[in-house]
Amino acid sequence: MFLPGDPGRSEPIARYFDEPRLVAKNREYETWSGYLDGELVSVTSTGIGCPSAAIAMEELVKVGSDTFIRVGTSGSMQPDIRPGTLGIISGAIRDEGTSSHYLPIEFPAVADIEITRALALGARQIGRPYRIGISQSKDSFYGQHEPGRMPVANRLRDRWSAWMAGGAICSEMEAAALYIVASTLGVRAGGVMMIMGHYDQAPMTPEEEAEGSLDNLLPAAIAGLRALIAHDRELAVAS
Amino acid sequence: MIGENGRQHHIQLREGDVGRYVLLPGDPGRCEPIAALFDDAEFVASNREYTTWTGYLNGEKVSVVSTGIGCPSSAIAMEELIAIGADTFIRVGTSGAIQPGTPDGQLAIVTAAIRDEGTSSHYLPMEFPAIATPQLVDAIAKGARRHQISYRLGVSQSKDSFYGEVEPDRMPMSGMLHDRWNAWVAGGAICSEMEAATIFIIGAIHRVRTGGVMQMHSGEGEADRNQLLEASVEALRILIAEDRAGSEWP
Repeated sequence: MFLPGDPGRSEPIARYFDEPRLVAKNREYETWSGYLDGELVSVTSTGIGCPSAAIAMEELVKVGSDTFIRVGTSGSMQPDIRPGTLGIISGAIRDEGTSSHYLPIEFPAVADIEITRALALGARQIGRPYRIGISQSKDSFYGQHEPGRMPVANRLRDRWSAWMAGGAICSEMEAAALYIVASTLGVRAGGVMMIMGHYDQAPMTPEEEAEGSLDNLLPAAIAGLRALIAHDRELAVAS
Repeated sequence: MIGENGRQHHIQLREGDVGRYVLLPGDPGRCEPIAALFDDAEFVASNREYTTWTGYLNGEKVSVVSTGIGCPSSAIAMEELIAIGADTFIRVGTSGAIQPGTPDGQLAIVTAAIRDEGTSSHYLPMEFPAIATPQLVDAIAKGARRHQISYRLGVSQSKDSFYGEVEPDRMPMSGMLHDRWNAWVAGGAICSEMEAATIFIIGAIHRVRTGGVMQMHSGEGEADRNQLLEASVEALRILIAEDRAGSEWP
């Protein structure tokens, strides 16, 4: 399963599948299914944020999915990470409200290591620069982009500095809840994000905007899922 | 913090005393048996709960340093070891099994840790995940496979109270302890130990590599302790080879 946020991205992702077809569309959830290397695969949009993403994963697990790859865009959190770099999310900061309805905040939101490995292999195969690391999963987009106008501005800035000091690579809005829900349901989750922008919110140049195109993310994500399918088949043969 | 004798204050070591690769048991009594697997192992120092031996694997300098029990003393060990040049840490030790049906003695290769402790919050807010470096998780798993040792990957609970885990009913907070334990079980955590979360969080801040492998005890009987040491030493050999080849993980 691929999980983009934007319903408008489900069809562009499905175009990489063999025999893609629209399955359903309701609220922010748009699902397409098709095949990769003969394996049934799907893409379902989650909408923005952890509340709607958690609902999507719960319902997808009920209908038989067990492997989830979050794909989407994110903001850079390190001076040395340039727009156009892929962020492969090995763990997520639970800076959101949804995952605490599942597990106490001390529990780590961690990706499945086989998905992380497969996504890194996919990025390398396509020749995109990538970083493996931690994302900040936040609930407030404007709290990140315009912290100064928030009543809790100081807290937002202090915490952003702490995440940077901890080595977080990018900021997005869904991974933490997806990883925690996956741990609770006993399924696998990982993520690959196109990193855009700059850690200090400096504007991007047109060249940087172009580097951050989805055309530079989706082939790597598809190659990653193919690597995972191949790995799973090898394990099945071995056992 | 450097003392008047030029050594780090608590571990009583200076640059050159340890390799960049360090195994971290809790018990000082386990340092010598682990060092016996190194080439040319030498005792370096012992102060408080911190005992250090250094030797070689594949010609590369490696060390074993005990942390004592718990995150407070482990954090001090990590800080001072990083200050003298160590950058790759594998926690090794024993743990309680969390999932029912865990075979006694099976190895837990720790992918991430529950921050059920007080030390790591002095470094980063609680929302930040304590995760192991994927390359180390992979190296330890490879090391276990090479020796046909049974293992599983998963999350550990890093707790501050040993007796809160093994005798929760006599604690005034027993209801909360039971509720949280049940949550860790439901979340899929595999083992309970006392140091990993802080080791991982300090690793994140200092941009050094951290991992952990714990032998799980689920009942009666004495598991084969050699398996834990074989897997962790093999993991170091694998990492040394990967680093020499300059290969990027995966």
